[in-house]
Order: sequence, then structure tokens, then C-alpha cells
Amino acid sequence: MRAYISLVEPDVRFEALAADLEQAFDGSFARGPARNLDDRRLARWSEPEFTRRALAAFTLQFDRIPAYRGLCERRGFTPETVTRWEDVPAVPATAFKHLDLTVEPAKRPEAVFRTSGTTHGRRTRGRHLIARLSLYRRSLLPTFGARVIHGERMPFISLVPPWRERIDSSLSFMVSAAASTFATETLWLVDGRGRLDADALRSSLRAAEKAAVPVLVLGTSLALVRAVEILEGRRSVRLPVGSRIMDTGGFKGMEREITRDELHARLEAATGLIPSMMVGEYGMTELLSQLYEPVLEEGLAASGTYVPAPWLRVRALDPLTLADVPEGTTGLLAFFDLANAGSICHVLTEDLGTVSDGRVKLQGRAPGAEPRGCSIAMDELMAAAEEAASGRTPQ
Amino acid sequence: MTIDHPAHGGRVPTPDEVAAVAEKLHGTREHLRSRPAASLAASLGAAGRRFLDPQDPVRAEALERLPESSGLSSAVSRVVLDQMAADWTEERLRRLLATELGDPCPLDTLVERGGDRSLAIGPALCVQIAAGGVPGVGVTALVRSLLVKGPTLLKPGRDDALLPALYARALSEVDPDLAESLAVVYWPGESTGHLDAALARAEVVVAYGSNATVAAVRARAPVTARFVAYHHRVSVGLVGRDALTDANLAPLARDIAWAASAYDQRGCVSPRVVYVEEGGACSPAELADHLARAMEDVEARWPTGALDTGDASKLQQARGTAELMAASAGGRVHHGGSSPWTVWWAPDDVTPIPTAGRFVVVRPVADASALAAELGALGPHLQTVGFAGLAGRLDAVAKTLGEAGASRIAPFRAVPFPPPWWHHDGRGPLIDLVRWVDLERPEPARAEELTPPASAARLSR
Repeated sequence: MRAYISLVEPDVRFEALAADLEQAFDGSFARGPARNLDDRRLARWSEPEFTRRALAAFTLQFDRIPAYRGLCERRGFTPETVTRWEDVPAVPATAFKHLDLTVEPAKRPEAVFRTSGTTHGRRTRGRHLIARLSLYRRSLLPTFGARVIHGERMPFISLVPPWRERIDSSLSFMVSAAASTFATETLWLVDGRGRLDADALRSSLRAAEKAAVPVLVLGTSLALVRAVEILEGRRSVRLPVGSRIMDTGGFKGMEREITRDELHARLEAATGLIPSMMVGEYGMTELLSQLYEPVLEEGLAASGTYVPAPWLRVRALDPLTLADVPEGTTGLLAFFDLANAGSICHVLTEDLGTVSDGRVKLQGRAPGAEPRGCSIAMDELMAAAEEAASGRTPQ
Repeated sequence: MTIDHPAHGGRVPTPDEVAAVAEKLHGTREHLRSRPAASLAASLGAAGRRFLDPQDPVRAEALERLPESSGLSSAVSRVVLDQMAADWTEERLRRLLATELGDPCPLDTLVERGGDRSLAIGPALCVQIAAGGVPGVGVTALVRSLLVKGPTLLKPGRDDALLPALYARALSEVDPDLAESLAVVYWPGESTGHLDAALARAEVVVAYGSNATVAAVRARAPVTARFVAYHHRVSVGLVGRDALTDANLAPLARDIAWAASAYDQRGCVSPRVVYVEEGGACSPAELADHLARAMEDVEARWPTGALDTGDASKLQQARGTAELMAASAGGRVHHGGSSPWTVWWAPDDVTPIPTAGRFVVVRPVADASALAAELGALGPHLQTVGFAGLAGRLDAVAKTLGEAGASRIAPFRAVPFPPPWWHHDGRGPLIDLVRWVDLERPEPARAEELTPPASAARLSR
């Protein structure tokens, strides 16, 4: 589709900013088996420290991405006028479906991550061009290490396909990078086509139980539902103390939605793990930093609350005016992620939540997918027209 | 026989209750057929007129409750009610009957046809599954089938539950006898048990709504029932270069803005993309500028109903993405900030994005004659094409658009409110509901007088 011209001189400013950020991310990385995690390392970056880098990233993105520059100029927010990171124009996540947003447009990206398909057949999948993969790796490891691993190394049982089989999946990259850093060994139970090996799941959990070595099971909520269905109806497993589960993502596309509490209760029955050992992760292809539920440190009271990486800021906005809503009030979530220095830092999502003290409570996707009345939006129409032409029934 | 929508303090009936309602309606068919069509038009029109009478409590209640029930603003609700109800009067319904079925009315008496005679029979039971969106569509639907002497069970749409219920009440006061043949019943869309109960005795099934909804109803309709589908549709506009003069831009933009805004763009007739010919005295981009101002003016007088969170979110995603695409490929996005109107001038081909609020895309087209090809794959979903400035080319352009799938070509000002006898999605609104009985000449030729046609003679050798 697109040809990339390689061997092009990289942008010096990007390289410098990325190197600075990576070094700063590393500073939050508790290396080695530190059972008592130094929480100060993971403290939010101070406002001046965050703002300085945020404005540097904005200047770079403004200069290097013409579409973004046009948007900023039209809205009257340019590097000359913006002094607060909150005033940097946010790009809607949908834009990743239509435009390649990268500060290195002439350089071949080191990775291209794609968003999952949506219910509308034709609607383009979003793609996030990753100019520098090390920025992602070094952003994800400290938070994963702190919130999920908590200073210990252990075997991983992954229900996420390995990156080598899903090179367009940012989640697969994340799990692979974490595994190569924190896992004593890794079992990949889901292949690149999404098939879960049920026998290997049962036998690996039984082996862990027998060996009395704590394990980490990782998966999307969807994969964990599948796993629970496989485990249910057999003798339940008792995973060793210290074992944990990381779950990510919602239940989009499932025939029957189940609540997170219900999933946790069934996981507890099937594995013997208590819900405070189940860590929720919130991330998206468009963002290279993640948020986690700090349940390992704070217990079950923190369930449903997500803490962003120190270099990730989140706001809840009024859906119509895009003004900040008061703390604790529901709004559209917008993220400013410094790990996105190579693309767009400030991203407006379609997710709803509340923000208090820098932490997020998620309330799911903004509803309203079904158009009102007999009219149909052009995009849905194109999908419908193509489905009609191909003889398939619309979903 | 109305079971109020749960949102209006009603309850969801059981499937058995729905079946009983359908059975009871079915039982009124003979009595309904015994009534002259003109008397039905008179009663239906009298009930409809109550929505226009400033002294009538029915109108007062409709105006008071419509904004909340439909999600449209008060100002827009009033316009929609006035325009819709104007077509529910006796005069308009008699004209609809005459236009569609002719005079004398074949529902009442055998009429001449090709030397023989024919009689139109209304459905023994017409089940109408209506869609959300535009208030009044449900009443128009039920009036059509009652007018052709069909007992009618209407399931109202999500945002159009109020007017059918009010109409049923008004009718029961005007003509309790006729009201016995109408039921307005709501049940949750996903309940196939209710749907099956309603459809079991149906002779005609009419389904409005999304392609998925229509497909789901179609799949469950009895094989013997006729199925009338009003599935998803999209409408566009076409501005010829003759209209692109300095003096004309402002009034033209007003007409387009009104066409797009009338039901907060929820109607299947609402234009979403306006194609503007290049080569006029003014450019398509200038028209887009004027359209933005006109959308602002329309918004001030007839504001958009409150957007829910999902629509507001969709609007933000759409505007931001359009702004980026405009900055990248050329074009311009005008919008009203927290007023949810948007005009996107997109000179280059763009991938359509999900939109919300009143959102009009303006696109250039080299020549009106090229539009049909441009619309290509949309054909099966195309409905109205609003037009201006086509002068002497109108008939030829209309023909190509019709061949491409459009079923209505109308001046922008007329776009939001088609007349009752319009060929709705290309079909007669009453004709599709009736069944014909042909009565041939009582004295056909005797068998021995028949000579085989020449071709048959050849074949028999």
C-alpha cells in the first residue's frame, strides 16, 4: 500500500527527546527482585517536569505532522501560544483510522500496531506507526514491573498471542517485552489466530499447582472468559499463593456481556485466586503507556481504579464543550502520554470515566452506536452497501 | 387498545397478551371492510386534525411531551408536528386514496380495469414495526393501513412512542368503532417471542428501521404475509452551477440548512452530503461558507435536541478527524462549538466517518450528470436527492439519479416533508398494502370457439 523510504535522516529533535524520555522512564524502573517496591519511583512526575517535556513533544509534533499543525493553527493553539499541556489540541482516537500520524513520516516505522476490527465491516482499522519501539518498551516495563510483577520474577502463562505471531498487536508486544524481562519461562497458550489451547491451559495450571511456584496468567477479558469456561466443570485448580492474573480490555463483541465482578468470581472459583490478586490493565493501541489497578499494593479497595504511568496524564472532559469536568464527574477521557512522543501525545478517546487525584474510574465506552431513525450515516452505509454487494447480511 | 410505552408509564405486555391483541384486531376485519373508505378518511382525518387545533388538549399534550419523548427541541418538535399532522387531515387522506387507488375507490366497489373489473381488499391484519427517529412516522404508518381497511397493530419506535399513543386515544374519542381496529403496543426490540405473537396472523408486515432490524423482522414474518421493507436510507443534495450566483448563495444555503436540520438529520430524507457543481459563478467552497452561516441561523431558531453522551462523543471524534483530514488533504471544517452543527467542505474524496448532530459534508462534482456514477454503491440505500440550479437539465439528471437508485428528486425546501402520496422508497404507500381480486367477464367464449394461437399450433406438430 505505502512505500517507506528508508535510510532517511531521522529527526534529531525526536531522537534527543526520545532518549531523554527513555532515560527518565528507566528512572522509574525498580530493577531486580525488590519485594518492597519503592513507590516514590512510580510517583507522578511533577507538573513542571511533565509540562516541559509535554511542550517539547508538542512543538515537535506540530512541526513534523502537517495535518496536526493545520488542526492546531485552525484552533489557535500553537507552540508559541501554549504554555499548559492541557491546552495542547487533542486528536480524536478515530483519526488513527484515517491518517498516519508520525513525526518520522519519511522513515520506515519500527512497528505498525493496528486497532482491533469493529462491528462495522468496512470501517477502517486504526493504525499507530511506531517510529521508535524502544520508547514503548521502556515505557511499559516500569509500570508492568511495579503493578503486576511487583518486584518478583515468575513463570508467565499468556492468553495473549506472542508478538512474533501478531506483529500488528501492541498488546502482544507488551506481553512479549514484559515476558522477556520478568518471566522465568513463558507458555503461550493462544496462537496468532486467537486459538486457545485448552489442554495446555489445564495441564499448565495443574503443573503450577503441583510445583507450588506462583505464576502470572495474562489475558484479555474475552480470553479469560474462554479460559474460565474451559476450567469450569472440572476439579478446580488451586494456584500457589502469590500467583496473579492480569486482565485487559472489555467485553466488546461478546454475545453475552458479563460483568467484571462475575468474571472475577468465576476465576476465583476456578483457580483459587482471590480478586485482589487480579490486576486490571487499561491500555489502547493509540497510547504507548498503560494504567493499572493497584490492587497488589492497596488491596481490593483499589479495584476499579486505574493509576496511570507517571508520564501519562488523564482528564475527564465534558462531551460537548470539551471543558474539564469537576473531579469525580463522568466525562470523556483524554490522555496526554509522553511515550507517544513519536506520534501524537494528546488523544481524545470515546471512553467514559471519572478522574480523581489523577486516577481513573472507567465507565466503559460512550453509548449511542445505533443511529436514530431510518437515516443512516454515510460510513455505515458504505459498509451496508458492500455487505449487500457481497451477499452477506449486515451485522 | 393501547398499551402505553414503558417510558410513558405503561408496561411491557406478555407475548400471550400481544397474541390476544392481534387476534382481536383480526376479528374486526369484516366490520372494517363494511365501512366506506370515505368514512374512514373522515374519521382518521378528524383524529389527525386534533393535532393541529390549538384548542385541542391532544395537541397541547403532544407539544408538551414531544421534546422529551423524541429528543428534539421544542421548536423543532412544533414544526415536525405541524408538518406531519397536516397530512393526517381528511382532505389529504382523500387525496391520497384517490391518487393511489383511483376514484371510485376499489376498496368499496369493483372498478373497471382492462375490460374486466377489480376489487381491492385491505389486509386482514397489518402489523407495522416502526423505527425510532422521526416523530409522526408511526402515525402516518398506521393511518395508511387503516385507510385501506386493514386492522393495524403498530409497534412504535423508540423516539416515536408518544404520537401513536395519542393518536389512538384521539381516534377512540372520534370514532370508537374504528379505534377497535387499532392497537399500539410496545415490546423490547430483541424479544422474538413478542414479535412472533404479533406476526402470526399478519397478512401484511411493514418494517421500518435499520437493515438489521428489517432483516430480523423479515426472517420471522409468515411466508404467506406480504413484507414491505423501509430499511436504512440515505439522502443527498445536488446543487447545479446555475444556482451558484452571489445573489443566490444565501437563500440557497438557507434551504439546504433547513433540509438537513429539520429532524436533526435523523430522517431518511435528510441530506448528509451535498454535491456542488464546479464551474459556477461562485465556488462550492463559497457555498459551504454560506451553508455554515445558515446552519448557525437555523440552530438559533430551531436548536438541535440535547445530544446524549454517545452522540456528543461521536461528534467530537468526527469533528477532530475531519479537521485533521481537512488540514492534510485540503478543505475546511466549520462548526458551532457546543452547538452541534458541522459543515465539512471536502474537496478531495474522503472516507466517510461516523457523525452526530447536524453534520453536512459538501463535496464538489464536476458535472451533475456525473453524480449518479459517484453515488454508485449507495444505490440500494439511496432515497431523496435535494436539488437546486439544474434548470433545463433537471429531467435528464433526475432520470440518471433515478436509475442509480434515488426514489425522490425534490427542491431543497420540500425535502423534509414529502406529500402523503409520495412513492415512499419508490413504492405506492397504499398500493403495497392491498390485495387485488379480479372479476373477469361473466360470459367467456365457449371452449369449442377457441382456436389455438399460431405458435401453439406449430408446437403441436
